[in-house]
Amino acid sequence: MPSSDALPLILGLDVGGTQTDAVLVSCDGVVASAVKVPTRADLPATLRKAVDQTLSGTGPDRISRMAFSTTMATNAIVQDRLDPAGMIVSAGPGMDPQGFAVGPSYHVVEGCLDHRGYEARPLSKEAVLAAAAGIRDQGIQALGLVSKFSVRNPAHELCMAEWVKEIFPHPALGHQVSGHLNFPRRIATTYLNAALRETHERFVRALLGILEERDLRAPRYLLKPDGGTVGLEESLGFPARTAQSGPAASIMGALALDPCPGTTLVLDVGGTTTDIGLIYRGAPLLEPYGIHLGPYKTLIRSLQTRSVGIGGDSEVRAEPGRPLRIGPLRQGPPAALGGPAPPPTDAMIVLGHLDAGDKETARRALEPVAAALDLDVLKAASAVLDRMAELIADSVGAFLHYINARPVYTVREVLEGVTIEPGHLVLLGGPAVQLAAPLESAFGLPCSVPPHAEVANAIGAAVSRVTCEITLHADTVRGTVVVPEAGIDQFIDGEFDLDQGMIMARQSLEKAVSGAGGAEDDLEITVTEQQSFNMIQGFSRTGRNIRLNLCVTPGLIPGWPRRS
Amino acid sequence: MPPSPKRTGLVFFPAFDWAISPTHPEREERLLYTRDQVLEEGLLDLDNIVEYRVRPATFEDIQRVHFCVPDEASVTTESHLISAGGCLVAADAVMNREVDNAFALVRPPGHHAMRVVHGNRGFCNINIEAVMVEHIRRTYGVKKVAIVDTDCHHGDGTQEIYWHDPDTLFISLHQDGRTIFPGTGFPNEMGGPNAVGATANIPLPPQTGEEGFAVVLEELVMPLLERFQPELVINSAGQDNHYSDPITDMNFSARGYAALNARLQPDICVLEGGYAVESALPYVNVGIIMAMAGLDFRNVREPNYDREYRPQSPDVTQNVDRLVSRLRQVFLKGKYEAPSHSPGEVLERKREVFYDTDGIFERQRELIRVCRDCAGALGVESAASTGNHVFAVRIPPNACPACRRTAESWFEQAAEGTFTQVFLQDRDRDTFERA
Repeated sequence: MPSSDALPLILGLDVGGTQTDAVLVSCDGVVASAVKVPTRADLPATLRKAVDQTLSGTGPDRISRMAFSTTMATNAIVQDRLDPAGMIVSAGPGMDPQGFAVGPSYHVVEGCLDHRGYEARPLSKEAVLAAAAGIRDQGIQALGLVSKFSVRNPAHELCMAEWVKEIFPHPALGHQVSGHLNFPRRIATTYLNAALRETHERFVRALLGILEERDLRAPRYLLKPDGGTVGLEESLGFPARTAQSGPAASIMGALALDPCPGTTLVLDVGGTTTDIGLIYRGAPLLEPYGIHLGPYKTLIRSLQTRSVGIGGDSEVRAEPGRPLRIGPLRQGPPAALGGPAPPPTDAMIVLGHLDAGDKETARRALEPVAAALDLDVLKAASAVLDRMAELIADSVGAFLHYINARPVYTVREVLEGVTIEPGHLVLLGGPAVQLAAPLESAFGLPCSVPPHAEVANAIGAAVSRVTCEITLHADTVRGTVVVPEAGIDQFIDGEFDLDQGMIMARQSLEKAVSGAGGAEDDLEITVTEQQSFNMIQGFSRTGRNIRLNLCVTPGLIPGWPRRS
Repeated sequence: MPPSPKRTGLVFFPAFDWAISPTHPEREERLLYTRDQVLEEGLLDLDNIVEYRVRPATFEDIQRVHFCVPDEASVTTESHLISAGGCLVAADAVMNREVDNAFALVRPPGHHAMRVVHGNRGFCNINIEAVMVEHIRRTYGVKKVAIVDTDCHHGDGTQEIYWHDPDTLFISLHQDGRTIFPGTGFPNEMGGPNAVGATANIPLPPQTGEEGFAVVLEELVMPLLERFQPELVINSAGQDNHYSDPITDMNFSARGYAALNARLQPDICVLEGGYAVESALPYVNVGIIMAMAGLDFRNVREPNYDREYRPQSPDVTQNVDRLVSRLRQVFLKGKYEAPSHSPGEVLERKREVFYDTDGIFERQRELIRVCRDCAGALGVESAASTGNHVFAVRIPPNACPACRRTAESWFEQAAEGTFTQVFLQDRDRDTFERA
C-alpha cells in the first residue's frame, strides 16, 4: 500500500552490530522505504550512507521527525574508549568507597550525609580542592562529583561543584543522573556521563552536520534503553542515557507493528543474538534498577530485556548422543554464502524456507551434523531449528522466573501476586518467519510475525515518544522537598502532604519532558511509587516522609495507529 | 585474617502497608530507612548477596508450633503469615544450599509469642523462628538446633516453646528482667525436666556495651554451642540493644552487632525487635548483612558514633565479668541442683501470662510426662480473659509409645470435658486436630 504523497514522513534508524537498518514511515503507519546497510567502524559514515539510501530522493521538507538508535555510547564503553574523567566522592561510614573506584583519578574526601539528608560530617574543602588540582595536573578535563545520599540532599555535590568551578566548569553531578538510591551505581553512572561527554558531543555535532548538509531540519531524537527518546541536542548533559538502545528499539517496534495483547513476549532474532523483551498491558516492562553497561552497573533506566547468544549465524555443534549445541560463537557467514560451517541459516536454506546462497553447499555442510544425529539432512535441518527454538525457550523460561521471583515489599503485593506469563509471541528480525513454526511449538503459544519484522527496530526508534522520570522525596521534619532530576531542593512546612507532592512531581515531570525535547501536553504518566509514611517520635506523629516516582510511560508518538 | 565472602540470602519484607496502630512502634516506617541504607550501600548488587521474594506461611506451618485460640485466622493477619513465611524462604534457601546463610529482615517480630496464642504479646502473635525451626525439622530432618536470641528483651515466647525440648538449645542475651519487659529470663530458668540445660539465660546489666557483649559471646555463648554441637545456629537478631533505642537501656552498636554475627556465624538470622528506626536499624542491619556475607565491616558505624557512643563504664565491665564467671560455673561446669524426677512421673506447673498489646490475661496449668526416651507428652490447660478455656495436647517428634498413650488419653478425657476447645498436635505424625 503506497503512502499518500502529502503525508509527512518519519526517519527511523537503528545501528546494529553487523547491520544498520533505516526506514521512512508515514505518520499513518505506512512504511515508505526500508534499507539495510552494513555497519562500519566509522559510525558517522554508516549513518550518512543509511540516511542517503533510505531517503533516495525524498525531499527533506517531507521529513517531520527523525530518531536514531546508535551504538556510539555502548561502543565507547565496551571498547574502553572513554575519555579520562576524574571522580571526587564523599561517602562516610558503610561499604568502603575505595571499592567503587572508577577511572584514572578517583578521590575520596571527608564528608557525610545520612539517609535523611542531614549532614553528619562537613565536607573538607581542602581535600576537594586538592583532589581537583590533582585531577587537573594529570591533564584530565572531565570530572564527576558524587556524595552518598546526594538524592536526599544535593548540598555536598553542589558545594563541591562551586569550589572547583574555576578548574572544571561543567562537572557531572551524581544527584542529577537519577533520583534512585544506590551510591556505587551513582558513582558509575556519573563517571560514564563525564567520560562520554566529549565523545558524545563530537558525535552529536557530526550527526547534526550530516542532517544539515541534507537540509534535514525536523526535530531529531536519540533512542534510550528505556524505549523512550531524548532530543539530540538535549542529550548532551547525560550521554550515558543513550547507550544500549538496540533491544529497546526492537520492543518498541513490536509495539508499533503488532497489537501486543495482554502479556506479549517479543523475540528479535539477529545474526548472533536474540533479544528478549516483554509487553504487559500495552506498555513495555521496565527494569527496576538500571542497565548494565560493560562492567558498569548504572542507574540508567531501561526496559527489562535479556540477550542470549543464539542467532541465525550461530555456530552449531553436533556430537553423537548429545543434544545439539548452538552459539554463542559465530564462525562466519552461512556455508551457503561461503562460510566455514553451517549455522541455523543453512538449515533454513536446506529446508527451502530461505532463498539465499547456494543450497547444495548448505546441504553438504550440514551432512556432518546429520551424521552425528543419525538423521537424513532434511530431518537434521529441522532438528537444528527445533533445537534453536528450544534453547531460546529455555532462556525465556529463566528470564520469566527471574522477573516473577522479584521481591515485593507490601502485604498487598504479596497477596495480589501478579505473575508475568506471556500468552502471545511477536517475532522480529531477519530469520523470524523461518523460525515461527519451531518457536510456536517450543513455546506452545501463538506467534505472529508482523509485516516489516526485519526492520521493526528502526520503526521502533522512529515512533517512540520522549520519556523522563522524576523522583520526589519530602521530609516535613527536616523541612525539605527534593526532586534531584529537576534541580528542586526547597523548604516546606509541616502541612506539605501527598497531594501537594503529587502536584509538584507532575510539574517537575512536565518540565523535565520539555527539557528533553518533548511536548508537555497529554503526557501518559505512570506513578511507580507513591507513599506517605508517618514519622514518629515516642508515640506521636512528628511529620511525614513522602516518596513519589513518576515517569512518562514508554510508548508511541501520538497519531501512530495501534494495530488491531 | 581477611574475611572470606559467603553467599548470603536476604529476605526483605518491610510490610510498608501494615502497622499495629498508626503511632505504634511496630509500624509501616520501621524498615523504611533500613531499606534506604541497604539500597544506597549497593549491597543488593553484590554477587554474593541474593535477594528472595517472600511467601506467606500456611496455617499448617503455624500448627506445628502453636495452639491458636480460637483459631489461626483470628489471631493472625496476612502480615504475620508473610513475616513467618519470609523465615521459611530464608530457611529453604540455606537448607537447599542455594546460599551459605540467610537473613530474614521481616516484620512483625515473633519471639514473645508462646505456644498457646490468645492474642498479641510484646508486638508478637506468631513465633516466626519456631515456625521456621519446625519447618526445617519436618522438611529436612534436622534435629539439633541452637537459637541465640540477641534481642534486648528476653525471648520468653521462644523459651516457653522450647522449654521441654532437649534438641533445641535456646540462649538468650538480654537486658536484666528486673529492669525491663517481660521481666523474665533469669539464669535459674534452665529448661523443663526433660530438657534441663537446653535453656540458658544471660541477663545483662543496663548499659552493657561492645566489650560486654564480646565477653559474653566468647566466654558463654560459643562454649555452649561448642558443647551442644547443633546442626544449625539461628540468631534471633533483635536490634534494640542499640545505644539509641528509645525503649531499652543498653549500649551496643552497629559495629558490635556486625562483630557478634561474624563470630557467631549463624546459618539464619531473623530480625526481631529494634525500634530506633532511623538511628540504629539502618546501620545495624547493614552491619549484620555485611558480616554474614563475609565482607569487611570495619567502616560500618553510625554517622554520630564518634560523638554519641560512650565506651562501657568500668562498673558495668565489672558486673559483666562477675556474671560471666558465675554463669560459666552454672552452664559449663554443671554447678546447679538438678531436680530429680522419675521417668513416667507427670509434673504440673501453673503460670500466668499477660498479653500487653491486647490486654488479655491468661492462666495456664501445664502437664509434662517425665521421659528419658522423648521430649515427653505435654498438656496445657489455658483459660483466658476472653472467655476461651482450652486444653491443648502435644505429642513430640519421635514420641515414645508411653508418652503417646499418655497424650492420647489426655486428649480423649479433655474432649469429653467442658472446654471451649481441645487440640491435639501430633508432631510425630505431623497432624493437628481440634475437638
